[in-house]
Amino acid sequence: MISYDILICGIGGQGAISLGTVLKLAAIHEGLDVVGAERRGGAQREGIVTSNVRYRKLENGEVADERRAPASGLIPAGGADMMISMEPMEALRHGRWLNENSVVIVNDFPLTPVSVRIGEREYPPLETVVTRLREFTAGVHVFPIDELSRRNFNSLRQVNTIALGMASALGSLPVSDESILSVVRGQFPDFETNREAFALGKRTALG
Amino acid sequence: MNPLALNEPGRTILAMGNDAIVRGGLEAALGYFSTYPGTPASEIGEGYLALKKEFPHIHAEFSVNEHVAAHGAQGASWAGVRSMVTMKHVGMNVAAEVLHFAGYTGVRAGLVVVIGSDPGATSSTSEQDDRWYSLHTHLPILEPSSIQEAKDFTARAFELSERYNLPVIVNAPSKLCHNIGSLRLGALPAVFPAGGRFERNPTRYINLFGGSVANHRRAMEAVENLRGDAPTLGLNRVLEGSGRIGFISSSVNYLYLIEALSLLGIMDAPVLKIGMSYPLNAGEIASFAAELERVYVVEDLEGFIEFQAKRLLYDSGIRVPVVGKDVFPAYGELDVDLIAERLSDELRAPLPSRMTRAIGLSGKLAGDLPPRQGAFCTGCPHRATLYSIVKATDRNAVFAGDIGCYTLSCLPPFRAFDWVTCMNCGVGIAQGMLQEIEGENVIAYVGDSTFFHSGIPGLINAVQQNANLVLVILDNKWVAMTGHQPSPTTDVALDGTRMHPVDIKGLLKSIGVSYVRTIRPFNIKASMAVIKEAIRVGRGVRVIIAEEECALQYGRRIARSPGDYEIYYQIDEERCQKCNECYIELGCPAIRREERVEGWRYYIEEATCLRCGACHDLCLNSAILKTEIRRSPAGTVGA
Repeated sequence: MISYDILICGIGGQGAISLGTVLKLAAIHEGLDVVGAERRGGAQREGIVTSNVRYRKLENGEVADERRAPASGLIPAGGADMMISMEPMEALRHGRWLNENSVVIVNDFPLTPVSVRIGEREYPPLETVVTRLREFTAGVHVFPIDELSRRNFNSLRQVNTIALGMASALGSLPVSDESILSVVRGQFPDFETNREAFALGKRTALG
Repeated sequence: MNPLALNEPGRTILAMGNDAIVRGGLEAALGYFSTYPGTPASEIGEGYLALKKEFPHIHAEFSVNEHVAAHGAQGASWAGVRSMVTMKHVGMNVAAEVLHFAGYTGVRAGLVVVIGSDPGATSSTSEQDDRWYSLHTHLPILEPSSIQEAKDFTARAFELSERYNLPVIVNAPSKLCHNIGSLRLGALPAVFPAGGRFERNPTRYINLFGGSVANHRRAMEAVENLRGDAPTLGLNRVLEGSGRIGFISSSVNYLYLIEALSLLGIMDAPVLKIGMSYPLNAGEIASFAAELERVYVVEDLEGFIEFQAKRLLYDSGIRVPVVGKDVFPAYGELDVDLIAERLSDELRAPLPSRMTRAIGLSGKLAGDLPPRQGAFCTGCPHRATLYSIVKATDRNAVFAGDIGCYTLSCLPPFRAFDWVTCMNCGVGIAQGMLQEIEGENVIAYVGDSTFFHSGIPGLINAVQQNANLVLVILDNKWVAMTGHQPSPTTDVALDGTRMHPVDIKGLLKSIGVSYVRTIRPFNIKASMAVIKEAIRVGRGVRVIIAEEECALQYGRRIARSPGDYEIYYQIDEERCQKCNECYIELGCPAIRREERVEGWRYYIEEATCLRCGACHDLCLNSAILKTEIRRSPAGTVGA
């Protein structure tokens, strides 16, 4: 049984849901089963957004058994093979889903919640966030994804495609780059720019 | 092509639970659809509206409220057209009157009621368990567990509705409505029925006096027929196992339970999966439970299946302990972790170390993070209106809240919102409270869609009782909170089509409101003056219409990209006194704080700013500069 679970998190408007949709459509493209619930309450209103992406595929000769290959809409605690977080503090907030082998991709640009803005709470320093994340797993990879997109493409529109490239480079995704790019071509305008962004993500991650 | 319109049986597409419900209706040859939008079920309506081109004969509408939507579906059913009405769980309170009668009278063509429930109230003011309604409405309930079942059960519900002559409910919680994954398509019907025709049926449709009693009996007999047939319908099934501890579960919780049992290494437990939670068949429950030592019922909220199962087992003379809400909470949302943790305690089966480690570390390392409570979007007119209200009143008023995006005004920085319960709770509660309190300024809020949903009767009452209140109608032209469905005041659709908006001012005049003012929210100083004046008048019902289209819809409608702007707002560092009016009091997310070696500053993030101009208008130091770089006939954002 091939089984790979990804938790994507971010803030409303950052594209966490779209990122999950690309990864799920890639599964349909390849004939894998995929499932995963989303938390979208408060989307576009500075609320927390998460997307569960759960790949499942029977290997040759395997017989379907719902007890042995369970796939509800939610990844259990400690169950994420990969986390992609578009915001640093949200990665830590969702640490509950990480295990010692999880691969974590974190965008380093902090988005300040209202509680911090009005001075009631403090946003933890990035170093603290990363140190704490490393207690969950050694596989924590922090990248300036916003900055990479802005510097290379003069906009923030490529952050998700860059993150996809990083996911492909650092994780053992059961979907191929070709499938992901084919979905990106169908879903987003300006495929050439997105292909470059994907390649940039891969290069940066492997760099 | 919209994948939901594909007629390729057996093909797998990616679908949301809500999409699967849409497809289920298509496969059942539905002809009429109505809804009032509400999370988590809103996308069902959007799904049908997006299919207008492929299925032009299907009538699909966003109705003014759930009561009207349910009546519409009942009318279509009586005309012989399969119909569906959808709502969120609290919408059932509004539709309940209609649906009680729909149970009595029965249907002609299948009538399916889809309820999007919200255990955990992540997008709601309540998490009520609507399943209990069925004990007196007599409406059967199907509870799909997966995206596939969401489609299959919906299609099946039409057939059951016709066979048993009752409207049938499909109950889908938010974690199913918003689950996105593989869906295997079935066949679309070769022919969709063309139009309907009413056939008189006075013994059923004239639900009066003795006829009403006869209908009541008929509905109860229909439920008993269905109850008797339940074991043969294939909606409930047993996952066989040799264990002596058994489980009964439904909805998404069935999949959570199977995953939790697997995590605990319990691979032999028999599980009765309930697909139809009302009515339940005594024999089916009894034959599952008879030989077991104990049965756990795993379901969201208030133990509807547990309640029925205990009674049915008692009547069957079976004394197996049935445990449900004593172990699994009757409030909030269940998930794999919670079920696994509770069962681990109950059955003395250890959680896998991977889970305990993650939960332990998370408590230690992530327990103290600042919360994200949500805020108005950048460029939202409600933010500007709320800022003006807070400044004009100095929060010295009673603030009567209501349901919509503006409910966020209960949070910082505004905190000008004293209650929220159901739709129309603002002016409705305020005009009663005013009979008891004196000398207080009362400001009630209502959005355009909420006002038309059920706010008008409350306002008429307030006028007739001469209540002293200021009602602010936040008219942003859309049902924004639930994902931008059209509202009665939508004047231009996203594709540019002119709509037929209701004339709010004409309506207010006709119900006797003589004091009506309009503000453009981004003109902060002018808005504050109008609010102060309305308060100063002090007597009678005064209405202020804050009129400005939702910024997100405005942006989508004109497809503006950041490079297209001809206006720029910038903070002049020399003039900025760091007084915090824009950064904290207005709280616009596009205004940011930057730490630098030479000292911190506030700046406006160009890629995020939607050029509403509110900060420019409110800055007392004239530190927010407006620069126009070119003129274009396309106009500018905002006022």
